[in-house]
Amino acid sequence: MSGRTIELVVVGAMLAGTLTVGTLSAQTHKDYRFNVGPKAGVSVNNPFGSVSVKPATGNVVIVNAVLYSDKVEVDNNLVGNRVEIQSHLLPGGDAESGRVDYEILVPADASITLHSSTGSLHAEKLHGDVTLEGAAATVDVRDISNAHVHVKTLNGPVTITNVQDGHVEVDSLSGEVTLNSVTGPLVQVISTSGGINYIGDFGDRGEYRLTSHSGNIEATVPGSTSADVSARSVRGEVHDDIPLQPKTHTWFPTNNGSAFWGTMGQTTMSSTVVLRSFSGKIHLRKRTSK
Amino acid sequence: MNCLELRESLAETEDGSRLEQRAHLKTCPECSALVAELDLIAASAIELRAADEPSPRVWNSIEIALRQEGLIRSQRPSRSLLPSLGSRWAWARWALPVAAAVLVTVGVYVRQTSLPVQLARDTAPPVAVPHEVSDAAIAGLNDDDLLQEAAQQSPAMQAQYTDNLRRVNQYIQDAKGVVAANPNDEEARRSLMEAYQEKAMLFELAMDRSLP
Repeated sequence: MSGRTIELVVVGAMLAGTLTVGTLSAQTHKDYRFNVGPKAGVSVNNPFGSVSVKPATGNVVIVNAVLYSDKVEVDNNLVGNRVEIQSHLLPGGDAESGRVDYEILVPADASITLHSSTGSLHAEKLHGDVTLEGAAATVDVRDISNAHVHVKTLNGPVTITNVQDGHVEVDSLSGEVTLNSVTGPLVQVISTSGGINYIGDFGDRGEYRLTSHSGNIEATVPGSTSADVSARSVRGEVHDDIPLQPKTHTWFPTNNGSAFWGTMGQTTMSSTVVLRSFSGKIHLRKRTSK
Repeated sequence: MNCLELRESLAETEDGSRLEQRAHLKTCPECSALVAELDLIAASAIELRAADEPSPRVWNSIEIALRQEGLIRSQRPSRSLLPSLGSRWAWARWALPVAAAVLVTVGVYVRQTSLPVQLARDTAPPVAVPHEVSDAAIAGLNDDDLLQEAAQQSPAMQAQYTDNLRRVNQYIQDAKGVVAANPNDEEARRSLMEAYQEKAMLFELAMDRSLP
């Protein structure tokens, strides 16, 4: 390496370092703390940037916000037992300069509502209602119990993991939806073109309805699953790797590779599972490991 | 024009403004009441742009229509099936469910009244299909409005909204086709409602709080 090259590398590194420091110095950290009562409500509207919510100890809401420029500010408000957080874009703010990342601690029994256009939305270890809405936002929800979980996205992928006794409703235009160990009295996914992947045992005595217009639907269940499963694709194919006790009386044809309807496991404990697609494939698989 | 012909013709001109329709409506109170009800729903849907709250009568009409068709069941106390009304674009959330209710109501009403006659005649005309009614004509909806709004609010995502709008419109068309082919298929009607729900959500996402 010549002396001239080394000189250029050093100058480049210094320039890059200066730019990085400049960017970091434009960031501002802000913390907010709110004392709330039981079953508080927390609402966050953050057009650009991520929101992560985890449980706090005690009846307190702690908000840690990282603002990426002075083109955005955080409006916060405590109204009764409800905390409202809003990222407020100032004139000249855009998706980059208007970005705010939040890490929020809430009481585990709080109900949360999160909105973001492009950031990621994450909630975990709560037992209050969870409502997440975002256009391209990535949604990740895990370890929720005895609560409603409602998710709406345009094309952001949705992953919901380990939800027990949940009332789960997911609406997605084109995002992929993955449910892993999600059970409850009602689990419903509606998608226009995104695929739906369910991994779990369908609980007991719940209603599971997975619908996609053109996306594929795949359900992977253990052999011990008890469920009454009907699958139907108007123009797609259906595949069933698990032997089902066929229904003796069905109201739609089930013998042409586009539909099946049958029962697996114990009928007294079985959930109702409805898999529907217009042109996507539907596949009921048996989980091979674990 | 008799009652059956008038009700079938409503799928194309739902306000009863054609000459033959007007002639029949002058002499038939039952059909006049039907057209008045449809006009009320359609007009109220458009007025939702300006109104903060729809009138209780509109809400009741929608709920009754949806319940009669089995498209909604008893609501859970903690969550309303109907969209909230708190924002400037609340009308958009209402407009598609209203359109869906009107379309399904017209389609099923026409079908129910025409079916016995069809059976008797054996050479009946095809059942009126809801998709012959223009969604935009009923609810004042316009896909261009949505795209324009998305372009203004979030230009980077306009292509995604365009793509998703195309997909959801295809969903609605396919669902309508299945309903037309299987008018007694409750799941098909549910699927149509879900397709409209998806489109309503697209409007909501484009125009509501998730965008700056």
